[in-house]
Amino acid sequence: MFTKMSLLLAALVFSVSALAAENHYRLGVNGLACPFCAYGIEKRLNKIDGVTEVRVDIGDSVVQVTLKEGNTLTEEQARRAVDEAGFTLRSYAEVDGETGGGNAE
Amino acid sequence: MLNNNHSVRNSMLASALILTGVSVVQAAPNTFNTALPVPQGETIWREQLVLRERSDDGPMDREVSVQALGSVLGYGVTPKLAVFGVVPYFFNKELDVSTPMGRISRDTNGIGDVSLFGRYTAYQYDFTGGTFRVAPLFGVTAPTGDSDDRDRFGELPRPLQVGDGAWDGFAGVVATYQRLQYQMDAQLLYRGNGRHDGFAHGDETRLDASLQYRIWPFSLEGISGTPGFTYALLESSLVHRERNEISTGTDANSGGTQWLLAPGLQFITRRWVVEGTIQLPVAEDPNGDAIQDDYIVRVGFRRNF
Repeated sequence: MFTKMSLLLAALVFSVSALAAENHYRLGVNGLACPFCAYGIEKRLNKIDGVTEVRVDIGDSVVQVTLKEGNTLTEEQARRAVDEAGFTLRSYAEVDGETGGGNAE
Repeated sequence: MLNNNHSVRNSMLASALILTGVSVVQAAPNTFNTALPVPQGETIWREQLVLRERSDDGPMDREVSVQALGSVLGYGVTPKLAVFGVVPYFFNKELDVSTPMGRISRDTNGIGDVSLFGRYTAYQYDFTGGTFRVAPLFGVTAPTGDSDDRDRFGELPRPLQVGDGAWDGFAGVVATYQRLQYQMDAQLLYRGNGRHDGFAHGDETRLDASLQYRIWPFSLEGISGTPGFTYALLESSLVHRERNEISTGTDANSGGTQWLLAPGLQFITRRWVVEGTIQLPVAEDPNGDAIQDDYIVRVGFRRNF
């Protein structure tokens, strides 16, 4: 019983610290207006080292990017990825905690 | 006599068919092109099944039936330049016609003429939730299809062949205005058809327009992520074709002007598009006894990689 509790506690501590160490970014993207186009942005951003999740909120024209601990997304990297997908970067911001928690607009 | 009949038939039938009209498009409209981007390094694959029926009310009671598959691969070379390859495959191109010998049927199949074209985004204005783009496009059609297929009556009429035997060129410009709720596209395209072995399809000029309106989800309020969109489509095609060239003259019973409307539906996700339209003639002004469209059904899908 003690061993099980210890393992559970260790897993919880580890997952919380891993979550806290992730870096989150919120990109405003102009020109994005259909789901089929959204995939191009996801594909370009996923090529960047350390990216673990790209989420496009098409209704808000916003892309949320999550990177592993120690990896960052510079504005220049974000702009290049969005440009290569054929769109225009409107805004860039690093946000705290879970993606979607910040507002760079 | 047989030769005479054959010759007369060929002459009269030369007006019976035009190019299949497999759509060479990459994105939004179902019947023509768009100015939306193909992201750099992305590949788009499209398959479109085309079922086309044509007929006339003349004494020969001609009926033309085409079943074809258009395969398209597009690739984003840069954010503004995309190249496309189009391979039409004809499952069947069939002509039924009344002759003094009775009703006869002639048909063929095979790979048609392959097209390659490039599209460059010359103007781009992006804003929140929308974009406006203008993109010229240029392309060639290579004579890869069989242009001298034969049946028991002899060589098939040239318009019935799956290839025209000549290099053709086309150029145009397409504009797209897209918002989250709807999208409009317009295209002006000219196709100059080459001549081979005494025959050339008439040159073609077309003006296309398309409206796609999102009907589901009707509102994006409260919806996060990227849901699939369902669009209702209405597309318009005004097409003018010159007369076909035969030997030293032109075929009086070929070419003309027609206006087609195409209602349809389109379901779009991040990776897939599934779509279908039926093109119906609204007005037709054929030259002489040139055959006219009854309907064109287009169904297909697109996938990005």
